Amino acid sequence: MVTIIDLNIGNLQSVANAFKRVGSEVSVARTADAAERAQILVLPGVGAFERAMDRLNEHRFGPVVRRHALERRRPLIGICLGMQLLADRSYEHGRSEGLGIIGGEVVQLESHPPVYRVPNIGWTAVKAAKLSPMFPANVDGQSFYHVHSYHLVCKDPKDVAATFDFGGLPIVTAIERENIFGVQFHPEKSQDVGLNLLHSLLLHIKSTSL
Amino acid sequence: MTLHRLIPVILLKNGLIVRSQLFRIHQTIGNPLHTIRRLSNWNVDELILLDISTEDFHDMRRDDLQVRYLDNTSVGVLKQVAEISFMPLTVGGRIRSVDDMRARLSAGADKCAINSEAVRTPGLIETASKAFGTQCVVVSIDALRKTDDALEVFIDGGKTATGMNPAAWAAECERLGAGEILINSIDRDGSGWGYDLDLVRRVTESVSIPVIACGGVGAYEHFPQAFQQAGASAAAAANIFNFYELSYLYAKKACLDAGVSMRPVSLGSQWFPREPTYNVDEENSRIESRLERARTRRFPAGEDSAPRKVRWCAKCVYPSLSATPMEFDQSGVCMGCRMAESRADTPPREWGRRKHILVNIMERARCKTGSRHDCVIGVSGGKDSYFQTHYIKNVLGYNPLLVTYYGNNYTPAGERNLRRMAEAFDVDHIIYTPGVELLKKLNRLGFVVMGDMNWHNHIGIATLPLRIAAQNRIPVVVYGEHGYADLCGQFSMNDFVEWTYRNRLEHFARGYEWNYMVGREGITDAQMAAYQYPSDQEIFELGLRAIYLGNYVPWDGNANAKLMHEMYGFEFGDLPFERTYRRASNLDDMHENGAHDYLKFVKFGYGRCSDHVSKDVRLGLMTRSEGVALVRKHDAVWPSDIARWCAYVGMSEDEFDAIADTFRDPRVWWMEDGEWWKQNIWESKPLAHETGLKP
Repeated sequence: MVTIIDLNIGNLQSVANAFKRVGSEVSVARTADAAERAQILVLPGVGAFERAMDRLNEHRFGPVVRRHALERRRPLIGICLGMQLLADRSYEHGRSEGLGIIGGEVVQLESHPPVYRVPNIGWTAVKAAKLSPMFPANVDGQSFYHVHSYHLVCKDPKDVAATFDFGGLPIVTAIERENIFGVQFHPEKSQDVGLNLLHSLLLHIKSTSL
Repeated sequence: MTLHRLIPVILLKNGLIVRSQLFRIHQTIGNPLHTIRRLSNWNVDELILLDISTEDFHDMRRDDLQVRYLDNTSVGVLKQVAEISFMPLTVGGRIRSVDDMRARLSAGADKCAINSEAVRTPGLIETASKAFGTQCVVVSIDALRKTDDALEVFIDGGKTATGMNPAAWAAECERLGAGEILINSIDRDGSGWGYDLDLVRRVTESVSIPVIACGGVGAYEHFPQAFQQAGASAAAAANIFNFYELSYLYAKKACLDAGVSMRPVSLGSQWFPREPTYNVDEENSRIESRLERARTRRFPAGEDSAPRKVRWCAKCVYPSLSATPMEFDQSGVCMGCRMAESRADTPPREWGRRKHILVNIMERARCKTGSRHDCVIGVSGGKDSYFQTHYIKNVLGYNPLLVTYYGNNYTPAGERNLRRMAEAFDVDHIIYTPGVELLKKLNRLGFVVMGDMNWHNHIGIATLPLRIAAQNRIPVVVYGEHGYADLCGQFSMNDFVEWTYRNRLEHFARGYEWNYMVGREGITDAQMAAYQYPSDQEIFELGLRAIYLGNYVPWDGNANAKLMHEMYGFEFGDLPFERTYRRASNLDDMHENGAHDYLKFVKFGYGRCSDHVSKDVRLGLMTRSEGVALVRKHDAVWPSDIARWCAYVGMSEDEFDAIADTFRDPRVWWMEDGEWWKQNIWESKPLAHETGLKP
């Protein structure tokens, strides 16, 4: 059973539909109590960082997510903004503090027109940074759907699972540390490759009894 | 780097997909859910859904269709779309506020496209990008190239001029916080001439955000031009993706072949198979509740108190509520009449050009080694089958393989016509007859599930010729007329529309694929093999196309029948039909013009006679008043073949009648004192053109 946190800011339904499509049962946590009982917790999100953090704090989700990931060491999956929220802080519209689950900061993507435009909208080919259960062996060159203007810079390069090239710079697009997983792109909107990713991630979680 | 995108646009009007021309003429294609399922099969890059309805309401209670809407709103449709799409989804149309956007984003949209309201209230762009992020805000711009070549932004579906220049407006949108621009050309809409590349280039050069080009695509080669000659980040189109099988894949191939960087062509989604998976419990309870209503005589149409609002075409006798997707224009004239006018206005030189296109297609299909036939023709043995075979074999000189799905209910004359074809044309002819017990089961199931005992016929005719073509590596199948293009003007002459799986499942099979029947009345997969369509992989690799001869040669059913009678001894019906006056149509099935057609009358309040009258009025063979008299005489007749059908499948006539009544459309029928009532064309107000006034 996958539990998705409802921050009431994004497209939660698409994420739920995708997990259902790959054969998982899905529940939605609207309260901290509901999230507390989760086995696999998914933090989705689109929109602005600060607003999302406000929502997390307002509903007391923050401590629950931290306990889930850091104390109980249960699987946590951050998607798009949900991945960025795991960082220490973000510099989107000023400075806001994040959940501090993954060491790092969220900074603006630098545009290099005409080829590299911001927001980065569309299908971007990714490159694996290490072996990860999220990606099949031959992920290099497969493209996932990205929509973002900010990106995560990890403190520890070992947390980086995949990157993409943006104007010559490698940009972090997937992270993995033990039970913590995150993707900048939208697997729920990346058709077969995205659904494959969710499927293999869930298989991994099941087989390693994370 | 970020790859270029190829984006199908779905234009929705009152909950249905329409084909659009110049923003004014709209022809209904069908239900978006069927089309979007296909797009999911093919892993499309992204999808844009634009609602061009004038009110946020649609009413599409069709009890005979498998796919149904859960409510009457466009957000409701969006929720259903989101369940079957795992691609990025941009939604536009009727968005006036941040709340409108929030409703769409939470229903499943990833981005919202705003158009008229952005011009009226530019502050909305700013508020929206603050609330949802710039990546959520697409500004859609409709531009018209005027006669003096100047470009101007129009709003309100192309109706209101703004005096603004598209490139300047796009730059202003970016400044206000738009994340993307969708630029559409009004004058190229539906033209098939290709993008207005100058317009797109001006916009891409004025902004640094991504630009989606739209409007005018008529050939796959137009797509790469948007990237290579105009700097677009994405190329979008609406109409073309409705016209041809695997159109998205061929469009993508054209881009990749031209050197545009894109995701590869993808066939056969692992997570989204082409054949629908039915929820058996849900379907069983749907069937059970119908049978229960029939037993207790509690009919939906008898319990609905909303006002009935059927109207009729001002020129022919077609009703606004019909079995076929139908749209009326501003003068109250149906698209079937409009398309008939455009056919009649086609000059001989244009027919010459079309014949040339046909010969090119056929030449590519010609077998040079003698290992197979040149093409397959699906034939029922009717007048059109004779004409198709005559034209392909004896006029153009190709070697066709005739394929017939034999449904076991031929009229005697129809049977003789069918058996005579191999001799009359000296061609090879495969007549496929399913086991009769299976046919009886499919008759019963079709009737109970969707009010159509001839479901097996429709899906058989729509499958077998392609299946046999694929098996024998024959790359072209020739059908006659596009039924809906002819009857209800679903497409335009310039679309050269071809056969698609989507059209087969949605319109021929009503959303009920072969696998729906497996497990019912003990039917097995293997028994349904003949109804299984070739896979997308097979179709793509063989380049299999099924074309409509009616797109390439002048077509007149009445004249064809006469000619075929004179040349090949084609026989007219032995006896007149009870439900129509024509004698040369539908001889391949004794119930097609009888019990089957009676069910259409029960559902929608009109029958085949209305179809025939409409066609003959359009051809100038009778006046509308003469037609109305015929409709009055034939449409309501209880045909005597119902008794034969009931005996054939083992059902009583009472049971037949009660089950049929469950299908009555509550928008057409009401009950008073135990009798069924409906509005009638002969009671409706005299039409403007009948009183001598211009419509």
